[in-house]
Amino acid sequence: MKLSVKRTRSTAALLIAAMLLALTACGSPKEGGQSPSENPSSNASADTSVTVTDMMGRTVTLKEPATRVVALTASDCEILFAIGAGDTLVGRGTYCDYPAEVLDVPAVDSGSETNIEQILALEPQVLLMSTMSQTEEQVKQLEDAGVHVVVSNAQDIAGVYTAIEMIGSLMGKDEEAASVIENMKSTFQEIQENATGDGTETIYFEVSPLEYGLWAAGANTFMDEIANMMGLTNCFADVDGWGEISEEQVLERDPDYILTISLYYGEGPRPEEEIMARPGWENVTAVKNQAILNLQNNELSRPAPRLAEGAQMLFDFVYGR
Amino acid sequence: MPVNSHKKRFSAADYLLFSVVTAAVLCLCVCAGSVTIPLKETVNIIRQALYARICMLFGAPASLPEGTAASIILSVRLPRVLCVAATGASLSLAGAVMQGLLRNPLADGSTLGVSSGAALGAVIAIAFGITFPGLPFAGTMTMAVLSAFLSLLIILGLACKLDRSLSTNTIILIGMVFSMFVSSLMNIVITFAADKVQQITFWTMGSLQGKGYSEALILFGALLLFGGILFFHTRELNAFAIGEENARHIGVNVRRVKLVLLIAVSGLIGICVSVGGVIGFVGLVAPHILRMITGPNHRRLLPASAFGGATFLMLADLAARMLLRPRELNIGIVTSLAGAAVFLVVFWRAGRGK
Repeated sequence: MKLSVKRTRSTAALLIAAMLLALTACGSPKEGGQSPSENPSSNASADTSVTVTDMMGRTVTLKEPATRVVALTASDCEILFAIGAGDTLVGRGTYCDYPAEVLDVPAVDSGSETNIEQILALEPQVLLMSTMSQTEEQVKQLEDAGVHVVVSNAQDIAGVYTAIEMIGSLMGKDEEAASVIENMKSTFQEIQENATGDGTETIYFEVSPLEYGLWAAGANTFMDEIANMMGLTNCFADVDGWGEISEEQVLERDPDYILTISLYYGEGPRPEEEIMARPGWENVTAVKNQAILNLQNNELSRPAPRLAEGAQMLFDFVYGR
Repeated sequence: MPVNSHKKRFSAADYLLFSVVTAAVLCLCVCAGSVTIPLKETVNIIRQALYARICMLFGAPASLPEGTAASIILSVRLPRVLCVAATGASLSLAGAVMQGLLRNPLADGSTLGVSSGAALGAVIAIAFGITFPGLPFAGTMTMAVLSAFLSLLIILGLACKLDRSLSTNTIILIGMVFSMFVSSLMNIVITFAADKVQQITFWTMGSLQGKGYSEALILFGALLLFGGILFFHTRELNAFAIGEENARHIGVNVRRVKLVLLIAVSGLIGICVSVGGVIGFVGLVAPHILRMITGPNHRRLLPASAFGGATFLMLADLAARMLLRPRELNIGIVTSLAGAAVFLVVFWRAGRGK
């Protein structure tokens, strides 16, 4: 009897030990390499304070443009680099991966695993995040600790301009931000002017490959907006946002073009080849014409300046054939 | 309640009845789907395809039907429905056998955590790149089966040490603890294989979409092999259901038989999980409903569960495909909805029975 009790206990102890291990493995703060900078330059005599209204309608005022920023969303990181403020980034969310330099910045857990202590340890003046990232309690905690929380929430291309403008003035880089926006606008305008499509040709945006269940980008996505811009019709415009859809629906809707954002892991068929090899898909127009484009780097899924590049790539693909 | 429970065997008439029902549901699931195809066209396509196949078998020239509707029926719907049927039958059989072994109506691959265990094995295979050259599914499949077997051993070991009478509460608690344990292990694996995170996350969301005839063949092969083994041990299962002592007294080699049964159950669950991901509650719902019809005799319960599980999962899949057209629900959501209801009923009855 005693023995069995002991054994039960040791099993339980093992279980608990394993669980603790799992917890610490997930929660251990990653080493932040930088020491807190002592005094951000404060010799300016003119009024250098900046005030921005973030995309949740909150007003944030800084005495001077921010020099230490943590950005949790990939798109905000991209915007920072695009306006030439990448060097102010002292921390980034786990999923921020563009441009390559951002990977040298210490990563902090984001999303549901956001760790306030990790963020505070980096001593940022500003935390950039999207609407979904944080709970109100966490935002309050951060603000009590003296970190200004600025929320970006771009749902369409106009929203992306707003976000770039907002981050630009936050960083004292209004001109750079304006030129990034101008570049995007001119690319989009050029695409719109040169696109000859009248909406009869359709495109299917594949967000997740068949192996894991098909997901398509529907209405109210950047991909949908960009398709319309170049005279194509999104064949899943009746789905709102991203949604899991039936394989047979793709065959029935018979898209003229397919854009897949599946990653290629360097082994097996490439995403385009995998689509062309799917049994039953040989009758789909896009497969017959090999009109399948693979964009690997989130060009069209993030509210960031690269949307213009992605749109250009799709335009070149559709009209350059 | 049990109808015909005096009958000891699953007679030819029973087989016929259950096959007809299952076949009818299969036809329904092939005819109905996200895209509406007229019944007449569906029948035509299948008739032509069958005819062409038979012609090819005898070396005669023939062409398979073409066009979008033919692609949808032959390349998308039919293989998927076959995979779903085989998965349903396997999971349901495995559930029925575990309920007999543990003498508890709530035992099932998903409630006990065996399915999560199998998933862990598959994730390990993906994370560390365990593959067999030339056999694309073999790596994840073998690891899933092995890890399902290991999970069963651990769960049964824990159950015996903690509570020999295996009360319902113990079963549920062990299942919960084990599932949590497995999910923490899975997180550790993911931490170590950071470059495969995306692949692993996608895999755990896995679905039966896009499964083809080769997967269906594997699933049916496993069902035939492991299900066959189980069918040969119905007498022993009946003895176990009364008690292990009883089984020993009537000359059952308890250790050996248990081992064989556990291997067969792990094989069924492991292969199903490695193909279609974790689908909860199938092994709970189907055997429970069928027990009301066939009674507790495993000779009748096991074949009935196989047919019933196939039928149940095909209908669940149909609902998953049809309810939100053109979108699709995860099949696990549908089975869990049905399963949670049955779980509550069983639990309530077990509580009242005390």
